[in-house]
Amino acid sequence: MSAVGAKPQAGGAMDVPATIAGIILLLVIIGATYFLVGPGLMFMALIGIIIGGLAIAFGVHFVPVGGAPAAMGQAPGIATGVAMLAAGAGLAGLFGGAWAAEQGLIVAVVTGAVGGGLLMAITCMFVTFIYVYGMGIPCASGKVAKDPITGDTQTEFKSQGTEGHGLPFVSYVGGVIGGLLGGGGGTLIYIMLLDVYKEALPGMMGALPAQIMPVAVSMAGIFAVGMFLVNAVLTAYNITGTIEGPHDPKFKRFPRALVASAVASALCGMVAILIVAM
Amino acid sequence: MTVKVEVIEGGVPHNTILAAGLVASLVLIYLTYANVMSGTQLFSFFGGLGAVAALVWGSHAIKHLCSYGIGTGVPSAGMMAFGSGVIAMLFATKYGVAAPIVAVVLAAVIGAILGFLSNNVLNMRIPVMIQSLIEMAIIGALVLMGFAAMMTGSFEFSPLTSGSISILGLSLPSYQASFIGGSLIAVAFMLGGIAIQHPFNACLGPNWTQDRMLMLAAECGFLSMIAVSVMSMALINIVAAVVSLIVSLVGWYYTYVKYIELSKRDAAGWLDSKPIPDVEGQ
Amino acid sequence: MESIAFGIGITALAGALATVAGAAENTESDIGSQGDPNSQVQLAPQMGFLHRIFNKAIAGEPPAYGLWICLGAGIAWAFMAMQINPVLALVLGSALAVFIQGVYATTAYLGRTASLAKFGQPVFVDVLKSMTTVTMAHAFVAIFTTVTMCHLINAALGHPFPLPLLGLVWGIALGAAGSATGNPFYGKERQYQSQKFGAGVPISASGNIVRYAEAGERNSLDNGWFSAKLGGPASGLCFGLIVFLEIWRTVLFEHMGAGWGAIIVGVIIILIFTVIDRYIEVWARKNYGPYAKPTEEGS
Repeated sequence: MSAVGAKPQAGGAMDVPATIAGIILLLVIIGATYFLVGPGLMFMALIGIIIGGLAIAFGVHFVPVGGAPAAMGQAPGIATGVAMLAAGAGLAGLFGGAWAAEQGLIVAVVTGAVGGGLLMAITCMFVTFIYVYGMGIPCASGKVAKDPITGDTQTEFKSQGTEGHGLPFVSYVGGVIGGLLGGGGGTLIYIMLLDVYKEALPGMMGALPAQIMPVAVSMAGIFAVGMFLVNAVLTAYNITGTIEGPHDPKFKRFPRALVASAVASALCGMVAILIVAM
Repeated sequence: MTVKVEVIEGGVPHNTILAAGLVASLVLIYLTYANVMSGTQLFSFFGGLGAVAALVWGSHAIKHLCSYGIGTGVPSAGMMAFGSGVIAMLFATKYGVAAPIVAVVLAAVIGAILGFLSNNVLNMRIPVMIQSLIEMAIIGALVLMGFAAMMTGSFEFSPLTSGSISILGLSLPSYQASFIGGSLIAVAFMLGGIAIQHPFNACLGPNWTQDRMLMLAAECGFLSMIAVSVMSMALINIVAAVVSLIVSLVGWYYTYVKYIELSKRDAAGWLDSKPIPDVEGQ
Repeated sequence: MESIAFGIGITALAGALATVAGAAENTESDIGSQGDPNSQVQLAPQMGFLHRIFNKAIAGEPPAYGLWICLGAGIAWAFMAMQINPVLALVLGSALAVFIQGVYATTAYLGRTASLAKFGQPVFVDVLKSMTTVTMAHAFVAIFTTVTMCHLINAALGHPFPLPLLGLVWGIALGAAGSATGNPFYGKERQYQSQKFGAGVPISASGNIVRYAEAGERNSLDNGWFSAKLGGPASGLCFGLIVFLEIWRTVLFEHMGAGWGAIIVGVIIILIFTVIDRYIEVWARKNYGPYAKPTEEGS
């Protein structure tokens, strides 16, 4: 969707004062939550949500997305939007993680991570399949001369007048890692909120724990989706919409996305927790 | 650093649309409170109209932001709006009659922080970024609240989380058959998320015109209202749901026909079963 | 044992439904030029290439399918809450979601085309009439199968998410899988059929899409016919495998090793796909290239 016009020239540099302000804001939010709900389940939930948000933001940097040019074989990566592809993987992970929620935090989060990784593994395999057997185009990166994992040289497989095409192996691995982190992060946010709501809603609504289960699941689910989208879109802004994978120079911009998503997750998490705490 | 590619020529200025959208949306959502005063659910459709007002404002806010080229697709801006709006909206529902006001204030705070993060921490340097994300979060919260009010007849927490289910003629209270318990909020989320970005995404191009895009925004809002009114049949009484359905069908038909007229006005040609016309340079 | 056999049966059915959904989704979006190939349909008139291709820019495929499936699921949920038979509820929900999809398709085409008036691209009413109905038919197949799959997961396998939330999750996943797999095949192989096979489209050729068919002018039904040969089935297989393997590993191995069984199986599946991917990549390197030997440059 490049018809809108020029892309912003956002550089790779960090804005130090703004980053420090962001970190202070993060500490203020954590402190305020501690002050309001005290130590215990709810405070730990906030920490969990921040970790989940960080995993999502970091994970999105790994997902190789080429945007519109990738659909014409003009640029490497998967031909779709980065935020939504990450959301697809993360939500598929959330689906698996929510299913395993009763088996404990660690099992559920790892199940969610594997669910996200599975979606990306299958999708990336089919992308390579279509490029190679459907279009007769081998994979070639435009950003590096050699694949950092396999050591394959890239430039001689690049066709004229393009920036590369397909998914070199490093992009494939990046996609799977992105799916793993996204699925795990999304599930972590969901489980944390679900625990808080299961604990607090019966008292607040004057009902039995079994009765409020659908409300708790739905609220935790929609918040997990909402926070996933906020984090994924913020990260998409950071990489201006496209990235080749962990070998792309844009990948080095991840620290500022981590700061941004930590603050955003803390903010959204605080509000989501205070719904039942105040 | 950034290049503004499309300036808004003529038409209604953005701040006017902002003010009108905010006030209209709030007033219309508050009109659903007539349900409580009159003891019926017939006024639920005002919630949907409030959402339409917010969506019209929202499409213009997206145009305002995306004319700078944010580096990623237009739809993601809509997802961001609703991702932040849903949190503010659900929190606000706890405050009873003050809910819409609380939602606006809280969404503004969340939007301001997200705007600061994108603009400064992520170094995007887009002049309208902070203001736009504030507007987006408010719009997301108001649209969700409007659709919630339309589906359940109320914008308060307990009616949104509890419903009733009738088995063999008996009406039993149930948390599962409710706006939140049944996750109808997810449907409202996606309906709004597409409706807010579609008008600009569909009308972008060199011959963009403001009235056509805003008419399309209203059309998308009424179209979403049709779906919302059908789902509301499960949660409010059937007469109120049918009233909502009629209001949304009438509004949708009017705006759809108007939109087609405006498209006809703006299009280069309106051909039926004709070959590709010859133009110079081919 | 019986419950496991039941679970496997539902898993297989869900996978089969997902396969149909993926194929229909990709064919639908290619007929409408939705997703990333849309940029070229949009660009062509600006380069002086007027065309009769349907330009249905509703949103990217993942958010659009997130809405259609979620909406179908939500309406089906509402009808089931009103004690309507689930089968009827699923059909009615999907039908209403398709109505919304059809309206969005028309407004997207009219809006984009009217905004291109400067370049002389007219609105073709016959394109609108014939293509919208065809995309609606494909969308109905995709929506109905996915919503039914979500209902099976919720009602028969006992997933905790309510139906609309499952619809949102799998709708976005469907759009993501379908657009990732199918977009390049339509975008490169069909729109730029006239360009060199086995190479990416040079950036200088952007906008010069193929506009004439074997006889007469190409319309989007020709594109649907083309996508249905490989892009559609591949997308279907992709989404079907995702759904099938995800549910299969949970249903069969969830109770082994306190939940770790399903995880280990998942990791093994990921590794298997990694090996397949690497095999395909190496196969391509052996058979197709290299292209840019200094002497052979200038394709």
